[in-house]
Amino acid sequence: MSKLSIEAKVGVFVVIGMIILGYMSMRIGKLGFKMDKGYDVNVYFDSASGLEEDVSVEIAGVEVGRVRKILLENGKALVILRIDSNVKLRKDVKASIRSRGILGDKYVVLVQGSTAAHLIEPDGRIISAVSTTDLDSLMNVLGEVAKNISELTRSFANVMGGEQGEASLRSIVDSMKSVAETLDRTVQENNEELIKIIANLSEFSATINEISSKINKGEGSIGRLIKEEYTVEKLNGTLTSLQKITEKINRGEGSIGKLINDEETVENIDSALTSINDYMQKQESFRTYLDYKGEYLFDSNEVKSYLTLRIQPREDKYYLLQVIDDPEGVESETDITTTTNGVTTTEHIEKNKKNEIKFSAQIAKRYYDLGLRGGIFESTGGFAFDYYLFKDRLTLSVEAFDFDSDSNAHLKFKADFTPFKHLYITSGFDDFISDEGNESFFIGAGINFLDEDIKTLLSNLPLY
Amino acid sequence: MIKLIKITKSFNSQKVLDELDLKIDPEKITVIIGQSGGGKSVLLKHMIGLIMPDSGQIIIDGIDITNLNDKKLNEVRKKFGMLFQDAALFDSMTVGENVAFPLNEHTRLSRKKITKIVDDKLNLVGLENVTNKMPSELSGGMRKRAGLARAIALDPKIVLFDEPTTGLDPIMRESIDKLIVATQKRTKATFVVISHDIESSFTIAHKIAMLYQGKIIAVGTPNEIRSSNDSFVKRFIKDLRK
Amino acid sequence: MTRFLEFAGRPFVFFIEECGSILLLLLSTISWMFRPPFRFRVIFKQMEFVGVNSVGVVLITGAFTGMVLALQTYHGFRMFGGEGLVGATVALSMTRELGPVFTALMVTGRVGSAMAAELGTMKVTEQIDALNTMSVSPIQYLVMPRIIAAILMLPVLTIISDFVGIVGGYFVGVNLLKINSGIFMAKIIDIVELDDIFNGLVKAAFFGLILSLVGCYKGIYTIGGAEGVGRATTQSVVLSSILIFISDYFLTAVMF
Repeated sequence: MSKLSIEAKVGVFVVIGMIILGYMSMRIGKLGFKMDKGYDVNVYFDSASGLEEDVSVEIAGVEVGRVRKILLENGKALVILRIDSNVKLRKDVKASIRSRGILGDKYVVLVQGSTAAHLIEPDGRIISAVSTTDLDSLMNVLGEVAKNISELTRSFANVMGGEQGEASLRSIVDSMKSVAETLDRTVQENNEELIKIIANLSEFSATINEISSKINKGEGSIGRLIKEEYTVEKLNGTLTSLQKITEKINRGEGSIGKLINDEETVENIDSALTSINDYMQKQESFRTYLDYKGEYLFDSNEVKSYLTLRIQPREDKYYLLQVIDDPEGVESETDITTTTNGVTTTEHIEKNKKNEIKFSAQIAKRYYDLGLRGGIFESTGGFAFDYYLFKDRLTLSVEAFDFDSDSNAHLKFKADFTPFKHLYITSGFDDFISDEGNESFFIGAGINFLDEDIKTLLSNLPLY
Repeated sequence: MIKLIKITKSFNSQKVLDELDLKIDPEKITVIIGQSGGGKSVLLKHMIGLIMPDSGQIIIDGIDITNLNDKKLNEVRKKFGMLFQDAALFDSMTVGENVAFPLNEHTRLSRKKITKIVDDKLNLVGLENVTNKMPSELSGGMRKRAGLARAIALDPKIVLFDEPTTGLDPIMRESIDKLIVATQKRTKATFVVISHDIESSFTIAHKIAMLYQGKIIAVGTPNEIRSSNDSFVKRFIKDLRK
Repeated sequence: MTRFLEFAGRPFVFFIEECGSILLLLLSTISWMFRPPFRFRVIFKQMEFVGVNSVGVVLITGAFTGMVLALQTYHGFRMFGGEGLVGATVALSMTRELGPVFTALMVTGRVGSAMAAELGTMKVTEQIDALNTMSVSPIQYLVMPRIIAAILMLPVLTIISDFVGIVGGYFVGVNLLKINSGIFMAKIIDIVELDDIFNGLVKAAFFGLILSLVGCYKGIYTIGGAEGVGRATTQSVVLSSILIFISDYFLTAVMF
């Protein structure tokens, strides 16, 4: 070890730390499912109580997706599930909310139906949804049942119990006895009458038999209508022409037939629907932000202002257009050599245009918590890294640009903190390896807001 | 070159310097003499901005250093070298690294050149074969020499000495005195020495300033001071000789 | 009565004052941080001192912390048949709390005190003044590299401590107490989140800032010779430890 240089020792040490961190993150991080892959499926539950966003969706105990969003729609909970694209759901799939153990977290369970059913399209809906009664409501129901039972038994006890109950029971039995006796007597007294009634019934059924046989033979008007050959032929003809029309349509003859049978029409309608769908989706995820920020530079006691338009077509990608009012300005150096009377004098002129307006135009992409930016920074080429912490409340950024001039590259480190919506504070070091003495600590604040008007304008342009 | 105007400084409501005025001549050795604990070190540290006065001005080459920011003060300090009482060598570095330290910090010379300058300076103060030794391996006198080598590494225009001979045996004291005089002759820098050692002060000084109760009570060449008829000065010298 | 109140109030006022001075030192350190020259070698040297040389201490404390945690929680969990949760408890406690805090305390003892002693000695032997006279800012040359090194190295030490703590817990739980290894690991993976680890590391970086800042502060404001250096060293360890515990509470409240 003693032969290693200090730098090498520290390097080895840090690498070991990183390896352990990487190993632990890989073991512990739930790498099974990534939210950005897969498709959405909607399901309505009567109650999504206890369900959280980002909990797992399982089939037969295997995670196949996550809960992406929980919304309220028409008094029901609309739960949007993001399902792994490798997993195909059938139309008759059943969704239910379950909990792990008695106190466990809630999650969504899907039970696949028959293989014969159609597949659910992306953004389709699961029809069969059961909100499994949670423990509270189960307890409530159980409590009510118990109450009912106890009431029942109490009234029973009231009726049966005591001398009064006994007396009434006895009187019930007595009256039942007398009813049976009366019945017996009535049957005996009306024996003949009963026999007559049975004979009548038998006669009636014989008559019905006769009528039906007449109809069968074509006798009488109903019988004639049914047995007439002509009627049958007429009906037959009607059916034949109907069949002919449908055949024609099927073959694509006639205008309706053409419309229905033309493949192109079908495709057209299909693609039109698809593009409307896409458009609506993009509209939805498309966001534009307007942002103004001022940075107070401690070294020069001046304020650098930024006006930014951020166009974000997708969650993980955005474009940045920026106008910067920089008090440091742009420096230009020129050497003027003049020769008068054989004496050469060189004049070195440094021009510093104060309050220069600069522009930035960048494209940014985000991978999990790490963002990459590239493009034009303050009117020169450059790139930047952003690291997002605490649910994007804190952003650490390093920017590097202005490589082409003779001096050191312009490096900037900053931290943005957003304590409230629309408002953030920023602090850091600008140009900290400057060899022109431009390095400065700065602190500033900005406001940003979502701009719906620009969004509508831009989403109508074929920008993406 | 160095001008102190009405410097007042108190520590815990005890006045150490009281509207002190002093002008130091360039390219000469000035010895400020006074009793122990009389505020000599405080005065010296004012000159290089280590201590800021409660009121008054310190003018170095026309710049008042009392209201400069860190950056500008450090620019002014590059004109100075200072030898501390116990040399104040960095004990985590070798003697060579100590002498090379200001060169590494403030010049962009190659390693070779720096090594050469370090050797030159160490030779100048009469040290040999100590480059790779740690300060703790050196004797008190050698440490002072090494400290002087570090102080003059950047060829400063002003060198300050904080009690250079205190804590040394008489022989070593004499050799350090000689070294100060010789070095000043070669470098032509302005030397400011504070001391309570009246004898060595008379031998090395071009000019002597007497500090008493927060004020400079007399300034003059050693001869002027020695032959002064001022009873106060006489008593002061007598006191110091004791 | 007034006297008593004064007696009670003075340490508090002193504590607040001290925190204010430390904060001022931090601000000036930050302002020096991005001014050239950049002495990467000096920072690396401190990183070696703070990080590499503390590995042994951290390995031992981390491993035994995990082991004793497994032993203690096992008996509690066994009462209701939850032995499987021992691993998750160890992992969660290590990553969130014990890893960062114990590492910070050990490093405070080893490094924070050394910083106070070293800078204190430099102060009383006028080496810090010497730096000033050579136009080198002691804050930039001495304080800043130590603080950067501690901020960078504490998370690395903590992740090592977390890891050996969990390994220690695994050893005790699975090998000695015969908990099923599959359940042991599955529960860790199930319950511990990535955020637990990362928040622990953020804490560690913050503790690194505290211990180095306090060590340096006590060092460069040392007065009174060798005795003063001793006092500064002791005070730096006490104050760092107190501040680590206090800030741990607030960091936990903010993060989890």
